Amino acid sequence: MLSVTNLSITYKNTQVLNDFNLSLKHGDILALLGDSGSGKSSALRFIAGLDTVTSGSIELDGKALSSNGSHLIPAESRGVGMVFQDYALFPHMNIEKNISFGLVAQPKVKQRARVTELLALIGLEGIEKKYPHQLSGGEQQRVALARALAPAPNLLLLDEPFSSLDKNHRDQLVLQVRSILKKAQVTSILVTHDETEADSFADVVGIINNKQLTFK
Amino acid sequence: MLKEKCIKSKIWISFIALLVAMPIFVVAFSWAMPEHELWAHFSENILSGLISSTLVLLLGVGVGVMLLGTVLAYLVVMVEFPGGKWLEWALFLPFAIPAYVLAFVYLGVFDYSGYAQVWMREALDLPGFDVRAGSWAIILTFVLVFYPYVYMMTRASFKRQKLNMIEAGRLLGASPLRVFFQVSLPLARPAVAAGVLVTLMETLADFGVVSLFNYDTFTTAIYSAWGDFRSIEVAAQLASLLVLVAFLLIYFEKKSRGQAKYYSSDVTNKKPYQATGLTAWLISLFVFGVFMLSFAMPMLQLVIWGWSSVADEWSAKYFDLIASTSILTISAALITVMLATFLALPSQCKKASIWLKSVIRLATLGYALPGSVMAVGLLYGINQISIINIHFGGESINHIIYGSITLLLFAYVSRFMAIAYSSIEASAQQIKPVFTQSARLLGASRLRLIWQVYLPMMTPGILAGGLLVAVDVMKELPATYLLRPFGWDTLAIQTYELSAEGLYERAAVPALIMVVFGALLMAVFQYLDKKSSRTS
Amino acid sequence: MDMKKIISSTIVFSVLTVSSITAVQATYSSPEVQAVSDETVTVYSSRKEHLIKPLFEAFTKDTGIKVEYLTGKGGALIERLKLEGDNTQADMFMTVDAGNLWYAGSQDLFQSVQTETIKSNIPVHLRDPKGLWTGLSVRARTIVYSTDRVKEQDLSTYANLATDQWKDRLCLRTSKKVYSKSLVASMIYNQGEDKTGDIISGWVNNLSATPNAKDSHVMNSILAGQCDVGIVNTYYFGRLIAKTPDSPLKLFWANQDTTGVHVNVSGAGVTKHASNKEGAVQLLEWLSSAKAQVIYGSLNKEYPANQKVASDDVVSEWGSFKQDEMNLSQAGLLQARAVRLMQIKGYR
Repeated sequence: MLSVTNLSITYKNTQVLNDFNLSLKHGDILALLGDSGSGKSSALRFIAGLDTVTSGSIELDGKALSSNGSHLIPAESRGVGMVFQDYALFPHMNIEKNISFGLVAQPKVKQRARVTELLALIGLEGIEKKYPHQLSGGEQQRVALARALAPAPNLLLLDEPFSSLDKNHRDQLVLQVRSILKKAQVTSILVTHDETEADSFADVVGIINNKQLTFK
Repeated sequence: MLKEKCIKSKIWISFIALLVAMPIFVVAFSWAMPEHELWAHFSENILSGLISSTLVLLLGVGVGVMLLGTVLAYLVVMVEFPGGKWLEWALFLPFAIPAYVLAFVYLGVFDYSGYAQVWMREALDLPGFDVRAGSWAIILTFVLVFYPYVYMMTRASFKRQKLNMIEAGRLLGASPLRVFFQVSLPLARPAVAAGVLVTLMETLADFGVVSLFNYDTFTTAIYSAWGDFRSIEVAAQLASLLVLVAFLLIYFEKKSRGQAKYYSSDVTNKKPYQATGLTAWLISLFVFGVFMLSFAMPMLQLVIWGWSSVADEWSAKYFDLIASTSILTISAALITVMLATFLALPSQCKKASIWLKSVIRLATLGYALPGSVMAVGLLYGINQISIINIHFGGESINHIIYGSITLLLFAYVSRFMAIAYSSIEASAQQIKPVFTQSARLLGASRLRLIWQVYLPMMTPGILAGGLLVAVDVMKELPATYLLRPFGWDTLAIQTYELSAEGLYERAAVPALIMVVFGALLMAVFQYLDKKSSRTS
Repeated sequence: MDMKKIISSTIVFSVLTVSSITAVQATYSSPEVQAVSDETVTVYSSRKEHLIKPLFEAFTKDTGIKVEYLTGKGGALIERLKLEGDNTQADMFMTVDAGNLWYAGSQDLFQSVQTETIKSNIPVHLRDPKGLWTGLSVRARTIVYSTDRVKEQDLSTYANLATDQWKDRLCLRTSKKVYSKSLVASMIYNQGEDKTGDIISGWVNNLSATPNAKDSHVMNSILAGQCDVGIVNTYYFGRLIAKTPDSPLKLFWANQDTTGVHVNVSGAGVTKHASNKEGAVQLLEWLSSAKAQVIYGSLNKEYPANQKVASDDVVSEWGSFKQDEMNLSQAGLLQARAVRLMQIKGYR
């Protein structure tokens, strides 16, 4: 269970988000809808532990991650996964190494099994030895998702992951990813500015408008 | 259509590259005059020892600069810590001090008769030791002298690294150390490799530091063949082996990169890590310590020396020295950078042609040649051109070229092409093919493509390359010493002449001016670098 | 995009700098060009600028002939002279060490100059037999020792430093320096290659530190207690004593009962393709004159080559000694063998 309380974000002396409160149950999928500059990405990066903000606290499964706008637990130990808009796959590693990057603690055999399992989940079997630049955009995005899911995060954040794909691919992939996440039972937050995408992806849709969060 | 265009660019690139590589050819042709007797002596008595001591030195220096240069670059780019902002620039400064000046300061402090050891023996009652025995001290000296190469090139590359690569790594649970070794460092690999390569070539060609430490390297044999046995041929033959080593190093580095691609994004100034508490101060202490040891401490020594002798040493002559040094530095840097940019521009023709890739490679090998071998190679080359010209009924060009500034500039370009090229090429490599393709599809001519797409994206590399060449030219000694026209004494020559006679106090005066001059160049670079990162 | 601005401002900046600097240079150099006469002698020199400039200035004052000079490393300048051939600007080549002078002579870079003035000023053993070059100052290379830790009666010859009593007490300058090479060449001349080889092995065995880059470092090492004896050129000792007169160091004249102290010269010759031969000869004669020889002695604490001139006061204090009278061209001839021997014996 995730709860975000009293989150406020100010940049360059302008407040963009005021007293943002949110709570999600295990396995929920939320979409945050808002224009660019509405602070939705900043909120996401705060939850991830990457940026600090003016005020706000985060609690995940009973553990306090952040309070008062700064972080109690650093990004590397939160167990929060993230999928980036431009995928951020490591270009110097092949797909297998990319996906198993978050699995170092496990023995090699287990790592390999998990990679195979995830590639099956995203429907891209057999591409272990390929490099990111040899894949299409949609394939790279699915690999990025697999990589984020590999360490079995308690929370998955998706920062406009579909925006650089073409329309046909996007609609298909949105549904695919949703079903993958549902299958894996991961609590997720998607940030997007596309209402249709939000509707078809999420269980709950929140809209950020005029510094406030309202639910659809 | 592509073929026709390529003929023209092939001719141009080949012409420039081969001209720059002239000294290499002269050195290679020395094999036409074998000297068995001297080779027998060398290979029987000294060569095996020299090769192993050279390898030890290269290995130590290579690993050392790689670690120090990349760690420092990573800290200043990726981590926020107290003092990080000014240290980021301060760490460039040691580069302005000539290697042999640093070496004589270090020896003055750490040799058996130096302050540090005297204090150690007298105050701490510890036994003294021969700091020049073995190879650790000279390796450390070289590392402290040359780490700015790696630091500078890697820093530029880290700056262009996508922040979200690091964030992705962090969110997958990787510690800062693991992110450094498995994400940032491999992504910066072309830059790290370029910096290490430049360092190794500079180490191979060094004569000043090794002679102060009396450490024998391959270069020792070159000078022995020339100076002791009066055989410029064997010297050239030995030098050609250095070039071969440099060539192999480059080849294997390129080859081992394999399939991986290295593109990167725009400059970001956001730092992913914020160090706090003790960690922050430890990082500050470490970075500041390196700065102290490699710059502040030697500078303090130079200032003390210079202060005591400035009245004896300063004269109107210094205006001449400063003028000559400035003119040579600026013109050599401009010419080298222009040619290097031309050679490094991405082009379809280049991609398809092994010939072009090879001649360009050849043009960058001069860096491995000791300066004076390079200089004599040039003199011989010009002489050969004259002989050929006379053969065809023309006149000797020797009297026009010898003792003219053209020859000296030629030598600088040949010698320092590698630095400019590797820096500029590293930034050219980061241009994704999509840019070219999309610009082409928008109907941009090649000229517009170069001017509006390539050059802006290569600016950081061009600036870094220009600065490195300028500072290197300013410090250059052997080629300048041999080739300069009358009245073109430089600050480096003045420093050398005084220090060679053991007059360190007086030598500190020109050395200090040189450092100030280098720091000024660095300030210009900083200004341009900031500007280009703001606008790109 | 600001690239154009950056490039153009760089170009403007550099053009401005270059032109303003050239202007400064022009204003600074023009008064010097206004010499008393237009006649100029051009010298290539491996003696450092601060040691030759006062001499040339005095010469110009005396004769009105201007001297232009270019300093450089001996071997490199010889190479430049060779390649310049008859295009060379140099009228005179000046260098240190008999080996370098001999080599320049053997490469046909000098022409013979044997005027009465030179013959009467400089003794025959300090000149080339064919008159190609003339020695202008004499430097002795001898033993220096710590007065705290060494008794004078324990010292005798260069060879003696190879015996066991000096184990881990000896400091030497690197074998790569011409002075070491000429010393060993003279030992080969006097005692043969085998004997010299044994002595070098003994030296190497007795070293207490990696050979030093400079004579001044050898003396610093003795002062710091790293070693007790060493071999240096006398003028380096002179410079050290001038700075710190109380140093517990003394010179010992080596080989006084045998061949005498090894001496070397700095000298000059008129180049084969000199365009101003008369001027160059005049300069050479002037350099051998009493007036110039006094300057030589006081500038660098060397011994005058002109025997009619008394040594500098400081230098005289060290006492007189017997010189090795080996003809100095032998040092040149034997130098390559000396280097080979040192390399074989591991003397770095």
